[in-house]
Amino acid sequence: MSALLRRCLASWLLLMSLGSLRADAEDVVGTLDAMGSDTMAGLMLRWGQALTRQHPGIRLQLQASGSASAPPALAAGTTRLGPMSRPMNEAERQAFIERHGYPPRELVVARDALVVVVHRHNPLESLGRRELDALFSDSRRCGARKEIRQWRQLGHDRPEGRIRLHGRNAASGTHGLFRHIALCDGFFRPEVNEHPGSAAVVAAVTEDPRAIGYAGLNHLTPGVKALARRDAEGKRHFPDPDAVQHGDYALSRDLYLYINLPPGDSLPAAEQAFFNLVLSPVGQAIVEELGFVPLPEVRRVSQRRELALDELDS
Amino acid sequence: MPDSPSTLSGRRRLRQGRDRLATALVTAGGIGAIVALLAIGLFLAVEVMPLFWSSEATETVSQRALWLPREGADGAVQYRWDPTATLPTEDVARVSLVPLAWGTLEAAAWALLIAIPLALGAAAHSALFMSTRLRSRVKPTLELMEALPGVVIGFIAGLVLAPWVDRHLADVLTLLILLVPGLLLASGLRSCLPPRLQQAIPLSWAGLWLLPWLLLILAAAHGLSPWLEAWVFGGDLHRWLEVRLGLDITVRNAMIVGMAMGFAVMPSVYALAEDALSGVPRSLAEGAQALGATRWQTLWRVVLPAASPGILSAVMIGAGRAVGETMIVLMASGNAALMTWNPLDGLRSLAATIAIELPEAGPESLHYRLLLLAALLLFVFTFLVNTLAEWVRSRLRRRYRRLGSGR
Repeated sequence: MSALLRRCLASWLLLMSLGSLRADAEDVVGTLDAMGSDTMAGLMLRWGQALTRQHPGIRLQLQASGSASAPPALAAGTTRLGPMSRPMNEAERQAFIERHGYPPRELVVARDALVVVVHRHNPLESLGRRELDALFSDSRRCGARKEIRQWRQLGHDRPEGRIRLHGRNAASGTHGLFRHIALCDGFFRPEVNEHPGSAAVVAAVTEDPRAIGYAGLNHLTPGVKALARRDAEGKRHFPDPDAVQHGDYALSRDLYLYINLPPGDSLPAAEQAFFNLVLSPVGQAIVEELGFVPLPEVRRVSQRRELALDELDS
Repeated sequence: MPDSPSTLSGRRRLRQGRDRLATALVTAGGIGAIVALLAIGLFLAVEVMPLFWSSEATETVSQRALWLPREGADGAVQYRWDPTATLPTEDVARVSLVPLAWGTLEAAAWALLIAIPLALGAAAHSALFMSTRLRSRVKPTLELMEALPGVVIGFIAGLVLAPWVDRHLADVLTLLILLVPGLLLASGLRSCLPPRLQQAIPLSWAGLWLLPWLLLILAAAHGLSPWLEAWVFGGDLHRWLEVRLGLDITVRNAMIVGMAMGFAVMPSVYALAEDALSGVPRSLAEGAQALGATRWQTLWRVVLPAASPGILSAVMIGAGRAVGETMIVLMASGNAALMTWNPLDGLRSLAATIAIELPEAGPESLHYRLLLLAALLLFVFTFLVNTLAEWVRSRLRRRYRRLGSGR
């Protein structure tokens, strides 16, 4: 009995060591840490899970404290991946160059958009560039003549009275992007309610027929209706994947990953595995699953080529 | 068995040593607390300094921009907080801390307005009139409310209460109108009862008598509100307020914050005030009543003044918590940096601003320093409230020391 047990144990140990040997030979081991955008937190986590499934030795450790936290951490070398929902600005780039002598490597990993949402029963369908500015801004840099405060100013009688505005808190990437594109870099009106997350904006609009808010595309729910954006010729652009991919919908943006890669060097093994996944059809399917928009095929392939990732590998 | 002198002195030495250790620990704790407090203040002050001295900062953020209004496009006076905007040359930076300070004080004021009458009323009733058995149940329950985390209260207020109140604004208004007269009437009706019934419901169980009346008032408010809305407010209260009075109405407003924070502040005010009131010696109240004072006179003229130092510190602790409370204001207020007297409009407090903006403000940036200045301001606010409370309390205590046991 005990002999049998011992034999079992021995063979099990042998199997275990064989298994680990095999893992060592084929697989990369290590912890990839990432610090940055909270918009991309869900995306990074899912990529991390898929990565661990492919390569059990790699773990992704994520700290999602906002896009602004990525550049200093990358420059100081405390993180290997810097997810950001906006491109690095000049000051952040300079700080990195001062430290390392070369710029950080920028990769576009997904497309995202901001949606302007109203209650699902609201008759409003689309907003023009100037209308949106007149709604949310008191500086009206995009050229609107008068500010819009009442629903009837938008040509609808049904929700009566004042328009209630909802948005993200100052300092979030979403807030900054909306200011840049929709307000022409102007100022927000103080009446805009600032919520700590896009989900809170959507929740606030869901329950109030007189509300308008802006949020990230991936937070859309059936409770709200995303408005189309009218361009100068009066053509409507709905935030559908195609329009977001090609930038026809003006409130769209790239999502970035920054890494510290000296020019001429090839990617370290763990990073290589990670980007191999992210820029693969599987990785882009995760993007779509989470409500973001995948990269256009051309762009995905060209970035793979730049990183010298083998297309067949995925 | 008698102790030998040597073990006795050994024991004494041990006790002395323990005494000394305890004294040292207490002293160290006290000094540590003071040092930590000073260090926090000093850290904030030092970090804020460059805002006033470095030329880069003073060029973009002048003292005018921080504290004084800027002139709006239509010549109106404006205070604006929008610090992340890229600063264009032709425009003054929008970094006024005034609306944030306003929001903090407004939220605290509404919270106290709701919490203090309720808490003090409850404290007076449970300390003086309630039966001991009932009191021993009610007091811990009320104190347990204090354990509710602010996030939970804020979540419920922002996501459940605020939309509900917005949908049923007329109901809430009718209830506010009916509540106080209705409850007074109900209390008055008790004295109309036949004496036998009155004895069945003694004052210590007054809640039992008032509870059905409260439900009745609730039902009446709900039933009457459509009539009230139709007759007085032309069918739509929202519209009437917006068009007739020119009031802006937001879902997450100062009233909601006041209710939620009042609820959060009430238990601690109640607990401290109740302790103070029940600490007033019975002999005082009994003496007053023996001399012919009514219950009300006893409460108002004798017990309340004697307990006033404790009650005041209870109120001030409530005020301190209301000023510093973060999550409730953050989640229930909508964070719109407005300056209005309108209780149905939004507000934005210093603490909430720090909480939602600091994580993304780049270290050492202008925005970061502005937020630390906001933190310093908040620190000064709470410090002032507490110092004022302590000062008034010591004065009151001196005045009423002659009464009773000197509490």
